[in-house]
Amino acid sequence: MARLIGRYLALAVAVVLLNFLLPRLLPGDPLAAAAPDGISPATSTLTVQARVQLRAYYHLDQPLFGQLLSYLNDLAHGNLGWSISQAAPARDLVGERLPWTLGLLVTALIVSSVAGSLLGLLAAWRGGQLDQTVLTLSSGLAAMPEFLTAIALLLGFAVALRWFPLHGGQTVFASDPGRNPDWPHALVDVAWHLTLPALTLVLATSAAFVLVARGAVRSVLTETYLTTARAKGLSETQVASRHAAPNALLPVMTLFGLRLGQVLGGAIVVERVFAVPGLGLLAYQSIAARDYPVLQAVFLLGSLGVPTVNFGLELAYRRLERRVG
Amino acid sequence: MRFPLLGAALLTTAAILALLGPALAPYDPKLVTGMPLLPPDRAHLLGTNDIGQDVLSEWLWAARASLLVAALITALSTILSWSVGMVAGVWRQAEGPLMALADLLLAIPSLLLYLLVVTLIGPSQRHVALTLGLLSWPAFARIVRAQVIAIRGRTHIESARALGATAYRIAWVHVFPGTVGLLPAKIVLTVRFAIFAEATLAFLGLGDPSIQSWGAMLGWAFAYPLLFAGRAWLWWALPPALSIVLVVLATTWLATGLEAVAEQRPS
Repeated sequence: MARLIGRYLALAVAVVLLNFLLPRLLPGDPLAAAAPDGISPATSTLTVQARVQLRAYYHLDQPLFGQLLSYLNDLAHGNLGWSISQAAPARDLVGERLPWTLGLLVTALIVSSVAGSLLGLLAAWRGGQLDQTVLTLSSGLAAMPEFLTAIALLLGFAVALRWFPLHGGQTVFASDPGRNPDWPHALVDVAWHLTLPALTLVLATSAAFVLVARGAVRSVLTETYLTTARAKGLSETQVASRHAAPNALLPVMTLFGLRLGQVLGGAIVVERVFAVPGLGLLAYQSIAARDYPVLQAVFLLGSLGVPTVNFGLELAYRRLERRVG
Repeated sequence: MRFPLLGAALLTTAAILALLGPALAPYDPKLVTGMPLLPPDRAHLLGTNDIGQDVLSEWLWAARASLLVAALITALSTILSWSVGMVAGVWRQAEGPLMALADLLLAIPSLLLYLLVVTLIGPSQRHVALTLGLLSWPAFARIVRAQVIAIRGRTHIESARALGATAYRIAWVHVFPGTVGLLPAKIVLTVRFAIFAEATLAFLGLGDPSIQSWGAMLGWAFAYPLLFAGRAWLWWALPPALSIVLVVLATTWLATGLEAVAEQRPS
């Protein structure tokens, strides 16, 4: 237990250090006159004196350790720096986008893990034609990059059928104070906008759950305790749900944690295609604007958030393991 | 058995396209050779894009860029996986730090890391290949290390040590051959990953602006606001999209075939 906490603490420290070091270790200087991109076009006109002042303002004239101390100090006060492209602190920008991505991620992961595991279970249990079909379908889905799935869904359901909106997270002006919508309608509106983005992530992620659940159930199909259960007179459904399915629980939970990081990556792509105002779109916009502070804030949040959830999962996992074993 | 063969055939076709593509291309893909967004006709078999470049020529050149970057990433990542895995498995002092580094890289959401690094060093095809190659080794390094640890306890290693073989010789002659069986899986998975990741980065605008890959073609097409207003996406966005899916599917099929062969072999 103490070892587990220690490992995750070390990981958190390493992520913070990496976030601090990456921009400083990689080639380039934000204030160099001839840097190829970033904010440099503006800096090329600076006088030497102004450049020295800027360097001092950003603590870039201090040794690396001094920079680290002031970085940690800022971080402890929740200060992630100012955005380069928008007149706001990076923390606020990240904060207002976070709920969108979180909602999208959680919905997609829950739906895909439940639906994928059930499908995998069914395929393993029934076998035969159904098993083959499910297997072919899931390997096909796994071969589709998220952005292609997203475009295909967009074309089918938003452009051709017009069932869902083309882009955005909510109807523009719907949350206007003057119109004062009641919250159930606002919620339905958001859900309607997020259906296709979530579906993309579900399609991209559920294949792995199908395969893992299928494998776990298949490996116990010939076990004698299933024969015993049948001999007791339990129905097939009872045997499947009470005796075969629990074997898939642990691997599915492990996969849930492993997938989290990848789904976050997928969210960046999906939010870009559907213009959902979440962290992914913010990351995309920050890339386009070479907005390092915001990009780093997103990176820090993502790379601390994923291990944090994994830590929680591991705790739950240990309890389950104790119960199973 | 059909699907693995089909996969191999598709990959061979893609490789030939990558080799001969530029020679087959009817136009210079960078030149404007027609009106914008011409539908396919005899002069332009896949029509033209938003600024009147020939899409077929672009697609052929892009095959080379996409597969070349995938090959580079796969080579780099495979060499690193094996070096780290072997060193960590053989040399115990290095095991802790190397595996800690692997765990750190595995714990961070990979796309975020790639985005940050490529944005910081500037997008070029070489940077993308280096970033993806240098950061994608950890998963297989762990697997290689596990295999090395399994081998290093066997008796033939002990006899070699008793005969006075150096650690270097043992690692190279007696341990390394035992890990070669993992190579096909690593290569197939990494080619898949590389095509996915390069296309995704290019789609997000972090590709090399001077080199067209399939992902970059899609990125440009999707950046065109009226792509879906007409039918241009049919000849402009669909060919690169289908190519990416087919190459990834082909590697997957080939992989299942290789797995089946490996399972049949008596161990």
